[in-house]
Amino acid sequence: MKIIHKYNCAGVCLYLSVLFLIMISGLTSTAWGDSSMCLSCHGDKSLTKTDSRGNKISLFVSEEEFKKSVHGSIACSDCHTQILDDSHAQKKGKKVDRKVDCGSCHEESEKIYQTSVHRLKAEISCKECHGYHYVTPLSNPKSATYRTNLVQTCGACHGEESKQFAESVHGVGLSRGRPNHPTCTTCHGTHGIKPRSDPDSAVHERKIAITTCPQCHAAEQITREYRFTTKPVKSYYDSFHGLSYRGGDTFSANCASCHGVHDIRPSSDPKSMIHKDNLQKTCGACHPKASLNFARGKIHTLPDIKGGDFGEKVVGWVRVTYIFLIVSVIGGMIFFNFTDWLRKTIDRKP
Amino acid sequence: MARKYLRMTLNERIQHLNLAINFTILVITGFALKYPEAFWASPITDVPLGMTFRGFLHRLSGVATVTLGGYHLLYLAFTERGRQIVKDMIPTFKDAVDLWETLKNNLFINRPAKIIKMGRFNFREKFEYLGLIWGTIVMTVTGFILWFKEEWLLFFPMWTFDVARAIHFYEAILATLTILVWHFYSVILNPDVYPMNWAWIDGHLTEHEMELEHGMELERIKEEEKRRLVDFQEASNAGGGRIYPLHPESSSRLNVRRFYGIVQDLNESIKNWKGI
Repeated sequence: MKIIHKYNCAGVCLYLSVLFLIMISGLTSTAWGDSSMCLSCHGDKSLTKTDSRGNKISLFVSEEEFKKSVHGSIACSDCHTQILDDSHAQKKGKKVDRKVDCGSCHEESEKIYQTSVHRLKAEISCKECHGYHYVTPLSNPKSATYRTNLVQTCGACHGEESKQFAESVHGVGLSRGRPNHPTCTTCHGTHGIKPRSDPDSAVHERKIAITTCPQCHAAEQITREYRFTTKPVKSYYDSFHGLSYRGGDTFSANCASCHGVHDIRPSSDPKSMIHKDNLQKTCGACHPKASLNFARGKIHTLPDIKGGDFGEKVVGWVRVTYIFLIVSVIGGMIFFNFTDWLRKTIDRKP
Repeated sequence: MARKYLRMTLNERIQHLNLAINFTILVITGFALKYPEAFWASPITDVPLGMTFRGFLHRLSGVATVTLGGYHLLYLAFTERGRQIVKDMIPTFKDAVDLWETLKNNLFINRPAKIIKMGRFNFREKFEYLGLIWGTIVMTVTGFILWFKEEWLLFFPMWTFDVARAIHFYEAILATLTILVWHFYSVILNPDVYPMNWAWIDGHLTEHEMELEHGMELERIKEEEKRRLVDFQEASNAGGGRIYPLHPESSSRLNVRRFYGIVQDLNESIKNWKGI
C-alpha cells in the first residue's frame, strides 16, 4: 500500500512537472502567438524611433486595425520571423531585421513576382502595393489593391499614366464604380508586370491587338452589357493593318496606334486621338501625306449587304457578286475539264 | 522524225516565263497577307520584317507584271507576229460552237464524236488570254489604288478604297483558281499532253498535238506550204508538185560515211595548203 502510494506520488510529481514544462513553453509561445508581447510596446501610439536621416518614424501598430486585416488571425512572429525575442528593443538604435518573406505563404505570387519588372528593375516589393500591417483583401473597397483604388496605388509612382488614365473613357467608367471597367491590372497584369519591350508582357506590341484590348472588346458578354459591338476588333483583323499585324508586322498600326494608350477617349471628346478634328494628325503619324479627306472615311467597316453604312453595302455587294462569279466560272471550268478528262480517259481505255 | 510546228518564239517564251514567275510571287506574297496564320505563310511571317519584305516584293512583282504587260502591248502592236496574234485572238462565234460541240463530245451526246478543227488559238486559249488581260487591268488599277492610297483618297471617299481592296482580293482568287483549274488542265493534266505541254520550253508543238488542238491551223499551214511550193517553179517542175529532199541523209545524224568524208576533205585541204 505504501509502495503504491510512493509510486503514485512519483507519478503525480512526474505528471505535474511535465505539465509545468508544457505550460511554461505554452506560455511563452502564447505570449508571441497572440502578439500581446509585441503590442505591449507597439500598441503605444507614442512609440517612435529616429532613423539615420533624423526623421521620426512611428512604430505604432493598431491592434484593432490589424485584427480587421486579412492577416488578423496570425501573429507578428509569423511574418517577422527574424525577431526572436524582445532583445531588439533593448539597445537604442540597434538595427532590427524587419525582413518579411511573404513568399513563405504566398508561393505562387512570389514566383510570378520574381520575374516582374518591379523585382528586376526596381525595388518595389509586396508592401509597396499591398501595404503591410493592415493588408485587406482584393474585394475590400478600402484595399489598396481594390479595382478603383489601383489608380492611386500605381499612381504613387506612375503619376503621369494614372492621371491620363483617370481622365480616359476607361478611367471615368471605373471611377463611377462600373463593373468590368478596366483598371491598371486589367491590361498590365498583377504580380508579373513586365516592361512593354518584353515579348511576355501583357502589353507587348504583339499582344495589344491579340489579347490586351480584345479580351474585353471582343468579349460577347461585355460588349452586350455596354452596348458596343465586337465589330472594331473583327474589322481590324480583316483590314490591312490587322492582317499585316497578324503576320508579324510591327510597323502596322495596332489598337493603341490610333486610340492611344492610357488616355483612350471616346471619339466625341475633342481631346481624343480619334476625334474628327484630330484624325488627320493621328493618321499622319504613319501616313504623312494623309489629306483631310483621307481621315474622313469610316475605318471599322465590315462588308455587309444589309449594313447601315453605304460603303459597307457596296463592298458587301462586290463580295456577293464576286463569290457568285468565282463559284460559277471556276465551277464551270471544273465541270468542263472533268468531262474532258473523263472522255479522253475513256477513249484511251485499251 | 515527226515534224514540229513553232508555237512560241523565244521572245514569247521569255515573256511567258517572266509572267509565270511574277504571277507566282504575287500569289504567294498576296495571299500571305490575307491568310497570315496559314502554314505556307510561315516562311514570310516567321522572319523578322517578313511582312515588310512581303509588301515590298508584292509591289515589285506588280510593277514587273505591269511593265511586262506594257511590253506585250508594244510587241502586239509593232511586230508582224504580234499583229497576227491579235487577229487570231479575236473571239468568234465558231469558238462558242467549238466549246459546245466539245462538251457534247465529252458527254457522249455526239455519237460518234465530232472531229473539231480549231484555229491557231482555240476557245480554251482565247478564254484564258482574254481573261488574263482583263485580270491584269483590274489588278493593276485596284493595286495602284491600294498602293497610292494617299493620292487616291485626295479625291475619292474611303469606301472606294474598301471596294478596291475587295476587288483586288476576289479577283486574285479568281485569277489563281483560273490558272490552277483551267491553265494547268490545258497544259499539264490534259491526257493529250500529260505530263506537260513542252511548248513553253522548246517552243514547238508536234504534228499530233497540232491535229488535236489546232486542226484548222494545221490545215492552213499545209495549204500555205503547198501553195508556196507550187509557186516555186523549179521545185514544181522537178517533183511535179511533190518535193523530195535532195540529200535525205543530210538532215539525219552524223554517220560514219559522212564523218569519213569530212576527215577526207580536211586532209585534202591540208595537202593543198599553199600558205597565205
